[in-house]
Amino acid sequence: MTAWLARLVAGRLIRLAWLLPLAAVGLFALISLAPIDPVQAYVGGRTSQIGPEQRDAIASAWGLDRPASERFASWLGDLAGGDLGQSITFNAPVLQVIAARLPASMALVGLAFALSFLLGTLLGLVAGATRGRWPDRVIRTLAVVLAASPGFWVAILLVAVFAVTLGWLPACCAAPPGQLASEVTPADRWRHMVLPVATLSVVGIAPLVLHTRQSLIAFLDSPAARHLSAHGATPLRLAFGPGLRHAAGVALTLHLAGAGELFGGSVLAEAVFAWPGLGQATVRAATGADAPLLMGIGLATLLFVFAGNLLADIAARLADPRLRRIA
Amino acid sequence: MFRPLATAALALSLLSPAHAEARSLVLAIGGEPEGGFDPIMGWGHYGNPLFQSTLLRYDAELDLVGDLATDWRLSQDGRVWRIRLREDAMFSDGTPLTAKDVVFTYTAASTAGGLADLTVLKEARALDDTTVELELTEPRITFVARLATLGIVPAHSYGADYARQPIGSGPFKLVEWREGEQLVVAPNPYWHGGEIAFDRVSFVFGSEEAGQALARTGAADLVAVPPSMADAAPPDMAVLKIDTVDNRGLAFPMGPARDETTETGAPIGNDVTADRAIRVAINQALDREALVALALNGHGRPAMGPADGLPWDNPEAAIPGNDPTAAMATLEDAGWTDSDGDGLREKDGLRAAFRVLYPAGDSTRQALALGASQQLRAIGIEAQPTGSSWDEIGALMHSQVVVLGWGAHDPSEIYALHHGDYAGVDYYNTGHYANPTVDAHLEGAEAAGSFDASLAHWQAAAWDGETGFGPKGDAAWAWLVNLEHAYWASDCLDLGSLQIHPHGHGFPITHDLPSWRWTCE
Amino acid sequence: MSAVTEPIGAQPARLRTPYKRAARRGTLALALLAAILLGAQLLPGDALAIDATARALPPQPDHLMGTDLLGRDIAARTLAALAQSVQIGLLAAGASTGVAVILGLGATFGRLADHAVGVLTELALGLPHFVLLIMIAFAMGGGTTGVIVAVALTHWPRLARVLRHEAQTIAASDYVAISRALGRSRLWVARHHLAPHLVAQIVAGFIVIFPHAILHEAGLSFIGLGIEPHLPSIGVMLSESLREIMAGHWWVAAAPGLGLMLVALAFERFGEALRQVSDPAGHIT
Repeated sequence: MTAWLARLVAGRLIRLAWLLPLAAVGLFALISLAPIDPVQAYVGGRTSQIGPEQRDAIASAWGLDRPASERFASWLGDLAGGDLGQSITFNAPVLQVIAARLPASMALVGLAFALSFLLGTLLGLVAGATRGRWPDRVIRTLAVVLAASPGFWVAILLVAVFAVTLGWLPACCAAPPGQLASEVTPADRWRHMVLPVATLSVVGIAPLVLHTRQSLIAFLDSPAARHLSAHGATPLRLAFGPGLRHAAGVALTLHLAGAGELFGGSVLAEAVFAWPGLGQATVRAATGADAPLLMGIGLATLLFVFAGNLLADIAARLADPRLRRIA
Repeated sequence: MFRPLATAALALSLLSPAHAEARSLVLAIGGEPEGGFDPIMGWGHYGNPLFQSTLLRYDAELDLVGDLATDWRLSQDGRVWRIRLREDAMFSDGTPLTAKDVVFTYTAASTAGGLADLTVLKEARALDDTTVELELTEPRITFVARLATLGIVPAHSYGADYARQPIGSGPFKLVEWREGEQLVVAPNPYWHGGEIAFDRVSFVFGSEEAGQALARTGAADLVAVPPSMADAAPPDMAVLKIDTVDNRGLAFPMGPARDETTETGAPIGNDVTADRAIRVAINQALDREALVALALNGHGRPAMGPADGLPWDNPEAAIPGNDPTAAMATLEDAGWTDSDGDGLREKDGLRAAFRVLYPAGDSTRQALALGASQQLRAIGIEAQPTGSSWDEIGALMHSQVVVLGWGAHDPSEIYALHHGDYAGVDYYNTGHYANPTVDAHLEGAEAAGSFDASLAHWQAAAWDGETGFGPKGDAAWAWLVNLEHAYWASDCLDLGSLQIHPHGHGFPITHDLPSWRWTCE
Repeated sequence: MSAVTEPIGAQPARLRTPYKRAARRGTLALALLAAILLGAQLLPGDALAIDATARALPPQPDHLMGTDLLGRDIAARTLAALAQSVQIGLLAAGASTGVAVILGLGATFGRLADHAVGVLTELALGLPHFVLLIMIAFAMGGGTTGVIVAVALTHWPRLARVLRHEAQTIAASDYVAISRALGRSRLWVARHHLAPHLVAQIVAGFIVIFPHAILHEAGLSFIGLGIEPHLPSIGVMLSESLREIMAGHWWVAAAPGLGLMLVALAFERFGEALRQVSDPAGHIT
């Protein structure tokens, strides 16, 4: 049982071992290309108060005056010691910036992951079981339309309806203003999560719905299912019994493999809802020409995608033992 | 159905800790200092570092008054500040603030490579517990701006985590900072400046839109809004429009096209704008009120100089605008005539045409460029608006006209924009303007024995009766507009008298936060 | 991913319907595209102008989709923005298709090339799509060029894989072997056997990439790393709409988003149909 798992993980780790350094070099080369002057980005609107000498001092204090190859070498050296460098925008170690903002993003991404999985599978099963009839049509149309909608537009519409017009839910932020973290009630936290999580769930739901529907239909057409239905099992019954077992593994695989995209979606959702997570920091790092932070975020999200893919592979093999023979 | 709910809500509200007597305040003015609250790295440059106190401070009229300093004197040669400190200043951890802390702060800031420019500081030394000397490398009166903005940090506890756990002698102490989200501060009981009317002040960050959403639900008491939104304030909030010197203007290349280029290979000079008559005529022709209406949606005021309304401004240097007849007369007199009847003037075969560069991403500057271009066409000058990236602007700004924006509570900007030494340096004197008389006035200002004494020199640099950088003299710029910063403020909030604000929306409004009052029960 | 497993027994009709469907959806999508491009051309000169007398009007006969705070007509602006987005999307999708063709076919030039392309694919898929887009747009200094390059460098892996598979299959096929045996040159084989198959795949690939290209372009512009704000574009309009939404002006966001969604939808459906035509079994996804 565990032999295949060990083999799989080992294989993936080997891949990571060459992918990570390559990605680091690639990202660094990419970021060095940027025509944005980091000193000017740092000085920003204070140009009038920062003279040329101070600019030079800033450049040398943050190592921005050294050639790219030298900066990369020292960055790599620090990385070996677990130091991702210093973020100029946030005036703090990159690791600290990421650690401070990751939980907020993870809460969004995690909840949206679970919600879209439940909802996507459920809708997919209903659609498959009612193939060709109106629930199927409605669900399919919804999935196709959602797949073509920009997530941030959906977010804006949700704000317009539920926050501005109806006033039921807050339009922004992770907690009510004016309160300390210790004073925020769990109910308030949940209220602030609703719209961002709903937005983010929409991003991942469409492929899941269509795929689950497809695999349920394949199952319902199988001899085993025909046999059961000949014994009086209704399609819905079949769908949520053996059909669910049949479809869930594949759905989970698909969903895990797409988890990385949820993070991409959270960059936009965080922008709309002023959510204090890593997505906002990513945008800030890009506009502030904060190379070490961008590198750090690049590598962190690479690990995130890697983990999602690895879990997807494991899920696929748990669902279908035949796959375990392949590495 | 609703009654039990309401009762439950009432019960809950009674149970929750009551802040009835002292109010808490929620501000959504943006401007989160992402790097934290370390003055040594540049925090508090607008003049009220919140947690720290400064040696001097500007009052509402922008006059300098003492904060930590009880007495401040500049030596005869203008190179040494001797400052006496008050004895009752305490850090929020209860330790007293002494000369040692001031020396530590100034020394650290001059070498830190942050956003506080103290490169002119040679040495800071403590003479005793309450006397400090700051020695400069050369006379520089504008150093007082540092005295009024650099917050003092405690030498004994300053460390790597200071930016996120600041301790200072200012009006507030940090309670909690959830980055990207909210800063909560409370009055510092050790503060030397008096009572604060609020037991808690929260700064909500996130987006501008988030602030407006909070204002509409009544959750925020003061919100920074873009000019386009200003008039759409929610019912129980008043619109607060604050004049600024956040200005925009046209910077002219001052000399004829040269053979040489800058170090980066950018061409220098422009034969058309090198003619003073062209620059003066542009200043005469521009209808700045119309530009305010067009580009700022009416939220601003015409700009006549680089520091309108500030103590070092010289209104005498300006010439009246919106006078195309006078502008055309100026051009005719100088030999710029439309000989071929195409509506465009020429002189010795040279067409009165140049480009007006603006950063493509900035819609305000774009509108200004378009509007100015339209107005100048009427007097026979072709100013072609050209949207560019900052890189492209950097390559062309020494040979074409650029829409630039400035505006600081610090006259060193006047120096940097007009002194010959700054010709071609960064974005300062892009036009390579150099007038020995103006340079002498500027140097005289920096060498003045006191800030008040320097004002006359700054004004003389703009116009001394014979020459100057202002439109009456060399007309190195055609200033266009001053922006207006808009806020929504709760009807119950009394902000007292407000300064003219510098470039930058948001935190400057908190300059007098300690003296704000809540007027409702 | 979308292997269509219809019930057995529907065979005769299936032979034609995918083509018909593709043709129908294609006509619809292209008609929409033409209408947008043409419509934007026909906009009167002052349609995008600021009008201080018509600020923040809800939809009404004079302004079908209302106006924004500066008094600009939302419908006209949406049309102009869609045209802008569509043109940039076409360029970006075209560039991405080009990258896919080069890398997909390049991979067939020996093991080393195949490995190299494999590594590039791993890298391109190693980061979340949108994060990579941000990085590349940043590297290009933002702006329209940044968007085009970013989209071009991120959307190729799937098509490249399809082309590589297709080229290898054809190269290994009997009729290519026969042609070669008959003394036909490699070039002749490439032109007569390879090209016709691949062109269909490339066109289908381009159509599939296009909706993603415009959606991602809008996303980048929304967070300020894309198209310059002074050009009308959907991302910028939606980002501006955010502040007006708070004042209850829902219509400012409605039209641009809806327009973008319709274009994306039309081409996504078209692409889906094309894919079923060119790859009915869905084995190369």
